[in-house]
Amino acid sequence: MFASSETRLTDGASFHAPVTVPRSEVLILALGNPLRGDDGVGAAILCALQTHSEVAAVDLVDGGTPGLETLLMLQGYRHAIILDAADMGQAPGTWRRFTPDEAGWQPRLLGGSLHDAGLAEALSLGAALRTLPQSIVIYGIQPAAIGWEPGLTRLVQEAVPAVVDAVLDDLCGALRPDNEDM
Amino acid sequence: MAASSVKIDVHHITRVEGHGTIVVDVKNGQLKQCELEIPETPRFFEAMLRGRPYGESSHITSRICGICAVGHATASLRATENALGVEPSEQTVLLRKLNFHGEMLDSHILHAYMLVAPDLLGVGSVIPLAKTAPDVVLRALRMKKLAGDLCAAICGRHTHPIAMTVGGFTHYPSVDQLVGLRERLEAMRPDVDATVELFQKLKLPAFERDTEYIALHKDDEYCYIDGEIASSDGGRWTLDEYRQVTNEYLVQYSSAKRCRNQRETYMVGALARVNLNFDQLHPKAKAAAAALNLKPKCINPYMNTVAQVVEIAHCLEDAIRLTDVLIARGIVWEEPAKPARLTGEGVGACDVPRGTLFHNYVIQDGLVSGANCIIPTGQNLANIEADMHALVPRILDRRPEEITLSLEMLVRAYDPCISCSTHALDVRFE
Repeated sequence: MFASSETRLTDGASFHAPVTVPRSEVLILALGNPLRGDDGVGAAILCALQTHSEVAAVDLVDGGTPGLETLLMLQGYRHAIILDAADMGQAPGTWRRFTPDEAGWQPRLLGGSLHDAGLAEALSLGAALRTLPQSIVIYGIQPAAIGWEPGLTRLVQEAVPAVVDAVLDDLCGALRPDNEDM
Repeated sequence: MAASSVKIDVHHITRVEGHGTIVVDVKNGQLKQCELEIPETPRFFEAMLRGRPYGESSHITSRICGICAVGHATASLRATENALGVEPSEQTVLLRKLNFHGEMLDSHILHAYMLVAPDLLGVGSVIPLAKTAPDVVLRALRMKKLAGDLCAAICGRHTHPIAMTVGGFTHYPSVDQLVGLRERLEAMRPDVDATVELFQKLKLPAFERDTEYIALHKDDEYCYIDGEIASSDGGRWTLDEYRQVTNEYLVQYSSAKRCRNQRETYMVGALARVNLNFDQLHPKAKAAAAALNLKPKCINPYMNTVAQVVEIAHCLEDAIRLTDVLIARGIVWEEPAKPARLTGEGVGACDVPRGTLFHNYVIQDGLVSGANCIIPTGQNLANIEADMHALVPRILDRRPEEITLSLEMLVRAYDPCISCSTHALDVRFE
């Protein structure tokens, strides 16, 4: 009974807990909440990635909604690939690969609550403290709905294989010896 | 010059599921409106729980919050265990307490350093602070890292724990891990001392308003899990009687319920705990309280952050004590304790970083049929508004931006839990 009920919520990507000491130079970090519809797209991509042998040598982490904790999750890695739902004002399922510099976001000043801190704020703080990985690539996937039930909408689900392929291409570059950048 | 008419409308937060705003309207020296609007999210999770197997509840509710995930999971497990007659082992209780200290340290360090210290140091936020005083922010992150690693060793990860389950754990730390953590905890003492020194130097606003303070209480320990509900106005309630304390009610202008007990409002959180449970604090925490001039009963809500610093000292020392106990006992691999029945109702309560958290489940044939979760921020809302009502008339002679800052700092002192159950990025390419 325990095993079955545990497995239903902790199968796949959810097993990828943050590691306290990096086992690789490369981190693939999924952000978002699988209980909130398309917000779980990062975890779904991570889940799909784990069937590929290319990820055997990298750390896969399902980060959930860690806020500023993201900063600590990134610490100690040379390269990081972040998977997250992103409202880019585009059609649902559209995805973009970009660096933090290209995102053009303005981090909030954390005026009201730490609960409001997200990736933009964590990366800004990490940049100020110079603790970020040498390269960070973000895959943003446009959600259709961030509602109150698990599961991706069709267009977002259909975007998953293409993002998986793109991430695997990134890994080929990142894992090359003496790679300086992705 | 007195400002006879002031209108303040602070939109703190704008995000997918809502926002938190302060609205203050003063006309001709009369306070017409003074409201705090913060959306209440757990209700959606209550609905999500219905029909799910009882073993999933802690995993679902740990997703309510990215900061108090262990707190929600623990309260959830205790509710389920009380409903189904599950008796956790002594080892489970010890590990849960240790795990809880990890979360308490993590959250308090974040709040004190990242949210409150920038105000008191006169910088807008932690991001400029990281540039002007990186050693202060790096100290905070160093302590936060250890707190997170402590949780990870016990429950798999701090944000949305994996290994906590009804009746026990699905994973155990090794004694070697505990020995390593103990060494690191001991090495953290100078950072905690430095934290106390930092807050000794910072000047908090001198504002006092007496209110009722509510916290969980045990006579023999500084209580975070279980216990009974205690009030600074007198009175004790069992956890099953929580509704007699919370008395939720609706107000017209907000979707979030308010709470009241023996007065119109009450406060939960670190200050309430220190006020009610000062005697049970570790001697080093009491010394920190003395250094920070915090004595029960303290009625300055801004001192909530100071109470958190005192709790940082307590949790560190108690975490060292608990690791010693666990190392001496040795870690035994235990199967989770089994339920005595599959139908029942139970209440679980924990004092999480922001105050007392209640989970109440009805379970039928192993499936959750009803759930009620009352979060600390919901209980504090009316109290924050009452503070604002008392504060605004006293500071009307200040400039509007100063009034705004005082109100923001007041809200920040409570660190309201504005749901962080999602953090989708907002990106606009140039």
